[in-house]
Amino acid sequence: MADTAGEKKEYWRWQESCWIDESKDWRAAKIVTAGIDVGSVSSQAVVCVDGELYGFNSMRTGNNSPDSARNAIQGVLDKSGMKLEDIKYVVGTGYGRVNVPFAHKAITEIACHARGANYMGGNAVRTILDMGGQDCKAIHCDEKGKVTNFLMNDKCAAGTGRGMEVISDLMQIPIAELGQRSFDVDEEPNAVSSVCVVFAKSEALGLLKAGYTKNKVIAAYCQAMAERVVSLLERIGVEKEFFITGGIAKNPGVVKRIEKILGIQAVQTKIDSQIAGALGAALFGYTLMQKQGASAKAA
Amino acid sequence: MSGLFDQFKEWYEKRHDYARAWKGRTGGQVVATMCTYTPEEVLIAAGMLPVRVLGAHEPQNVTEPHIFGMFCPFCRDSLAQGLLGRFDYCEGVTLTQSCIQYRQAFNSWRMHVPTVKWDYYLPMPNEVQSRFARVMHYAEVKKFREFMEGVIGRKIPDADLKRSIEVLNENRRLLRELFEFRKETNPRVTGVEALYASLTAQFVDKEEHNRELQRVLAEVAKRPNDREEGIRFMTIGSENDDIAFMAMVESVGSTIVIDDQCSGTRYFWNEARVQDDPIATIADRYCERPACPTKDYPAHTRFDHVLKLAKDYNARAAIFLQQKFCDPHEGDYPDLKRHLEDNGIPTLFLEFDITNPLGPFRIRVEAFLETLREEELF
Repeated sequence: MADTAGEKKEYWRWQESCWIDESKDWRAAKIVTAGIDVGSVSSQAVVCVDGELYGFNSMRTGNNSPDSARNAIQGVLDKSGMKLEDIKYVVGTGYGRVNVPFAHKAITEIACHARGANYMGGNAVRTILDMGGQDCKAIHCDEKGKVTNFLMNDKCAAGTGRGMEVISDLMQIPIAELGQRSFDVDEEPNAVSSVCVVFAKSEALGLLKAGYTKNKVIAAYCQAMAERVVSLLERIGVEKEFFITGGIAKNPGVVKRIEKILGIQAVQTKIDSQIAGALGAALFGYTLMQKQGASAKAA
Repeated sequence: MSGLFDQFKEWYEKRHDYARAWKGRTGGQVVATMCTYTPEEVLIAAGMLPVRVLGAHEPQNVTEPHIFGMFCPFCRDSLAQGLLGRFDYCEGVTLTQSCIQYRQAFNSWRMHVPTVKWDYYLPMPNEVQSRFARVMHYAEVKKFREFMEGVIGRKIPDADLKRSIEVLNENRRLLRELFEFRKETNPRVTGVEALYASLTAQFVDKEEHNRELQRVLAEVAKRPNDREEGIRFMTIGSENDDIAFMAMVESVGSTIVIDDQCSGTRYFWNEARVQDDPIATIADRYCERPACPTKDYPAHTRFDHVLKLAKDYNARAAIFLQQKFCDPHEGDYPDLKRHLEDNGIPTLFLEFDITNPLGPFRIRVEAFLETLREEELF
């Protein structure tokens, strides 16, 4: 995996994915809606048919929000044979939510992640930790997935997905392997003292020089990230059930450490945790369409 | 905005030009004032223009040798303006005691801003609830008057003090009249407009400001109430002149209808109770005004005052605009938050710095709005 001359490996590059539920026929659906989550690091498009997950596309955000939104939805369209006009309602969310050219409405990712988590983890979910590319959010919601309280990290992107990408590149280990490798250590190290991406990078290099294995450095960084997000969670309190969304939810090295500190297990799901925001947006689109239909009938 | 508040906006944006022009026109001295507890009546009676020091909300690198980085951004930004020469037209600088960080900023200002010719620190008691506070403050305002007489080289007659009390009281009355329009459904005065009016009162010649307020008040009543108010917000905190932030909040489906901030109501809320002795009138006025957290103990009088404002102006929710590292406000925050929430006013906490990240703030404000709106999404 070492870099060779003229070839720069991108260890941080996580797997983009596109999936549709072949068991569903979108042409038979009454209402097709989409949610587009243009985040700072990744963009997702989710398509729902009659309020059920049908397909999604998850990819890296480019330098242009409208293009990222178009590229994201195009993946699902290509795979399903759908056209954009077949989607009756589109909700934009994420940092680029107001720059989704074909969206009918923009809703914050805080509301969308709560709604998505409610779908993915069930209506007993009350606390959501969204660990995104450049921020993290602690969210409380009710049984419908409506946000009742929330907190975001302040200004600095420390302890977020971008930090993990930097460590991945520094260690020259693919990002998807970091979590598992963090458990392969002779003893659990102390957390790195800073989760600031710049300082943590220097500290990680120092630890390597001091004789730490790469796995142990990764473990120290995962622990630091877990401690940071737990401090955010504890500011609003953790109520059961607890659910984690966002890209870092796929990193067991961070998730298990969060669970250990909190003494609580996160609800498991088979759905890709990274699509929670876009899924919530698509579900909101479905509700809004239903309400529009109901009001049109009433009129 | 229909142009009605354009004069206030222009004064705010060109506040240094205004002060220089005033000085050229009148030949009077301009005084940089720090903290709204400054008894401006004395300065105005001495023929001076009090100009409150505000920040510029720009990155700066000049204050580190003087005050700590963990002093509040308003202190650091205020000192930076002095060190950068933005107030080079001010002969004097004065501070009335409020918080210790502000006092350090003032000390650096008076020592290191080369254009300052005189300075005065007015040691107002922080425990204004003490039975000795008014006696002490009376003596301090009297000493301040004597000092100012030394600066201008003549006596300040009682009649001049009484006149300045009248002018300031009129300013307070007119601002409250303007703020009354914010009680309406779909208020005719937005939070941004109200902020322009209350901020400019702190550095524009008061008589000129009064004339502009009278003009605006005569016109504003003719405005239609056709702007949808959305969610009605109150803002709470120390100083706030972040117009871009206020405009952003009011652009995403809300209206800021009232505040408890020293850039707003705390500056002008109570008139001075006119007594025979003008010094007593002035001293009592500042002891009686809505309290800043530095002067609100042992009883927390501001908690019920803030709640009453929220209720009177029908605020649906409140946003705390917390200057980072502002200990007095941060100390009040947990109890004041609980007090408001126990009385049906949900709150959002935002931490302000010299420059603020509008994007992340917008997400928080919009998400807060989504929690407050009717359940159209469910």
